[in-house]
Amino acid sequence: MQAPVVNIQDVKKVYGKSGANQSYALKGVSFSIQQGEFVGIMGPSGSGKTTLLNVISTLDKASDGVIKIAGVDISKMKSGQLADFRSQKLGFIFQDFNLIENLTVYENIALPLSLQGVPSRKIGPSVQKVAATLGIAELLQKYPAELSGGQKQRTAAARALVHEPAIILGDEPTGALDSKNATSLLEAMTNLNEQHGVSIMMVTHDAFSASYCQRILFIQDGELYKEIRRTSTREVFYREILDVLADLGTQK
Amino acid sequence: MLVKLSMSGLKSKLKDYLVLLVGLVISVSIFYMFQTLALNKAFIESNSVISSIQFVFHAGSVLLAIITFFYILYANSFLMTLRQKEFGMYMMLGAKKHKIMMLMFLETMILGIVSLVIGNAIGIGLAQGVGQLLMKQLEFTAGGYKAFYMPSLQITCLFFLVLFIISAIMNTLKLSRISVLQLVHAESHTDRPAVKGIMTVVTAVLSIILLAIGYWAMFNMETLMQAGIIIALITTTSGTYLLFMTFLPLMIGRLKKNKKRNEKGLNSFTYAQLSFRVNSLTKVLATVAMLIALGAGAITAGMGFQNNVMVTVNGFTPYDMVIHQPTEQEQAVIDTITFISKQQYRYKVDKKYVYYVKTDLEQHPPFAPYGVGRDSFGQYKPITEAISTGVVESDNWNDALRLIQPHYLYREQQVQIVDEQKYNQLQAEESSVIVGVSDDFLAHKEKWAQLDKMQAAKYNLSEMVLNSKYASYHMMHGFSSGTVFMGFFLGIAFLAMMASSLMFKILSGATKDISRYQMLHKIGVRRERLVRSIYKEQFLVFLFPAIIGVAHVVLGMKMFSFILRNPYDRIWVPLTIFAVIYAAYYFITVQMYKRIVLPSK
Ligand SMILES: Nc1ncnc2c1ncn2[C@@H]1O[C@H](COP(=O)(O)OP(=O)(O)O)[C@@H](O)[C@H]1O
Ligand SMILES: [Mg+2]
Repeated sequence: MQAPVVNIQDVKKVYGKSGANQSYALKGVSFSIQQGEFVGIMGPSGSGKTTLLNVISTLDKASDGVIKIAGVDISKMKSGQLADFRSQKLGFIFQDFNLIENLTVYENIALPLSLQGVPSRKIGPSVQKVAATLGIAELLQKYPAELSGGQKQRTAAARALVHEPAIILGDEPTGALDSKNATSLLEAMTNLNEQHGVSIMMVTHDAFSASYCQRILFIQDGELYKEIRRTSTREVFYREILDVLADLGTQK
Repeated sequence: MLVKLSMSGLKSKLKDYLVLLVGLVISVSIFYMFQTLALNKAFIESNSVISSIQFVFHAGSVLLAIITFFYILYANSFLMTLRQKEFGMYMMLGAKKHKIMMLMFLETMILGIVSLVIGNAIGIGLAQGVGQLLMKQLEFTAGGYKAFYMPSLQITCLFFLVLFIISAIMNTLKLSRISVLQLVHAESHTDRPAVKGIMTVVTAVLSIILLAIGYWAMFNMETLMQAGIIIALITTTSGTYLLFMTFLPLMIGRLKKNKKRNEKGLNSFTYAQLSFRVNSLTKVLATVAMLIALGAGAITAGMGFQNNVMVTVNGFTPYDMVIHQPTEQEQAVIDTITFISKQQYRYKVDKKYVYYVKTDLEQHPPFAPYGVGRDSFGQYKPITEAISTGVVESDNWNDALRLIQPHYLYREQQVQIVDEQKYNQLQAEESSVIVGVSDDFLAHKEKWAQLDKMQAAKYNLSEMVLNSKYASYHMMHGFSSGTVFMGFFLGIAFLAMMASSLMFKILSGATKDISRYQMLHKIGVRRERLVRSIYKEQFLVFLFPAIIGVAHVVLGMKMFSFILRNPYDRIWVPLTIFAVIYAAYYFITVQMYKRIVLPSK
């Protein structure tokens, strides 16, 4: 079997310097994600989802534990190396789109390739291809301000995808979208995952969004609480998710 | 309630407000400082021999007023950007629009009045400090110069009050025209160049025409005189602004058009950064270009005048001293001076003629000008032409004798050359003139002054009309030190204005850029790369106004060629000073900008 795309062992994250105001946001989390998986991370607000995503995405350093992405241990890398690693191996979709609003859609999508020094003649076709996959081929010359939320987020997805990263990480990518736009984004992501074999890890607190995943990890108070897998239809999975969430609620 | 809310909003952006306030205070104090000179008639009249200097001051004030006008408008649009999102929020929560507009108006006015009070206080201090310092440096006692000068205070208050009222109205109007949604999403706006297509081309051509007229006026200052200054002032200023409004966007557009270059590394982002705020940038950069031109130009001109003094003075007369019939006192002073050459010429005077002795003049030929046209200025050689007796006909000899015999002496008589024999027979009063060239003119300054004073008393003339070398030195020095004083005053004022213009440009734009740099950091752009992009972007931002500003200085100096022998003499000195200062600004700006936009390590 291939090495997992993400493999984390006993990852801890402490906020605060020392003493009384120290708090554990992650208290030893371990899991792995295989190539081609679509994994969701769920949990109540403040449970450590964003923290987890940040340490995996190398934006923040774990206090303890081992994090391997695409077989590479990132815990000992320097900030410059981490930046290079992010730009080559990871793709991001954030809740607030994070497009650069003074670049056109085309330029936004092309940016990761330009940054890696891909020659101009190869950039065009790659951008066209991902844009077509995500259904934004007609919008390439527009500026982000001229797009709807869903179009913006699909642009962000295209940008996350264009350099063929090992995994796409999303922090509440549907959080700022209405249900119609959210659905179309989730369908696009499913399509990427199923048709193109792209690995995705997505943080969400929304059961509907989570139901598009194949597997969901629940965390609570910085610890892995439960893990469920989709075995039949999305509707069934959706209900299972709601059950777990209800459990989480009553436990508290 | 709303006032309370807005006060808290104000507090949250205290840093930005402080920057704004400092900027306004600087502009008020510079304006005040400049006006203490420009409006002080007594000072200008007693310190400038040439009346046009006052006109130069007026021209300077007009320019400073124009620059300040745009500066204040810019500062206030910065205030607007600070507040618009918050005001939009209030309106969304149900605040009435006219209340918000009232608030905006009040805020602009209060800020204006506060900066006026502080600015004037600092301006008085500045005027005192800078004035004293320059006077000391230039050995220049400026009688009647007052750091606390009422007319200047009045004009400054009036000028800025009008400006603040205008900008308060403009801010309020702007607010009344935009919708709540636009306000709330103010930051995500894509600003596009206002003029497009054919209009851009037309304005670009117009800007070139205006600049061409301005340069033409500066080149023909000699014939156009004061009208030339006014023409140059208006056309170069408006031409520069138009140039930046049309050419800069066109240029950046060109940069971006090159797909290959645009898609290389961070270039697309760097160029997009450049073009994004292109509208506000163009005006600021045009202002900076004008300030560079004025600041460096003023210092260049001032130094040019200083360099020019001795050249001009030596051009007036080859003799350091010309004294007719020295008194005992005068002789005593003369004896203390070391001369390289000293001659005495005898002469006799009757009702019709002044008789010089031929042999005296032949043995020690006096100086006469030589050379032709402009090049002849300041060139003197002992005369070689032979002289015959009788009334002097030769132009050369007339010129030579005119240098020996000042115009105020023997106005009624003609000059006649006689031989020794005839001279001795003449029944007329005998006299003589001593002319001399000292070892070092400037070293004996006090002695020349003493001699001039005695001469003036002797002939009952004002020292001004003595036409001695010292008199012209005194006049030229008075003229030049006044001009140098003013040049530095202007230079300091305009360079200080430039500093705060740039500061505004950076700070008002930077907060909008934070999220972009954060985003780039997240998707894995190395810090060094972001830093490089910033250096590159700011370099281009700095480059264009520098080019235009220096072009203005270099071409504008031509304007002085009718007063200065060589206006380009040592022009590299002020240009180097400017380059060093400007480069320092560039690096400081980049550092400040980096600190604001880059995620902390
Ligand atoms: N920068 C930080 N400094 C201190 N505490 C933090 C920081 N970021 C998050 N936390 C704390 O860590 C815990 C987990 O936060 P987060 O990962 O943002 O939760 P979630 O995304 O699941 O809502 C919370 O208790 C939060 O208060
Ligand atoms: Mg979160």
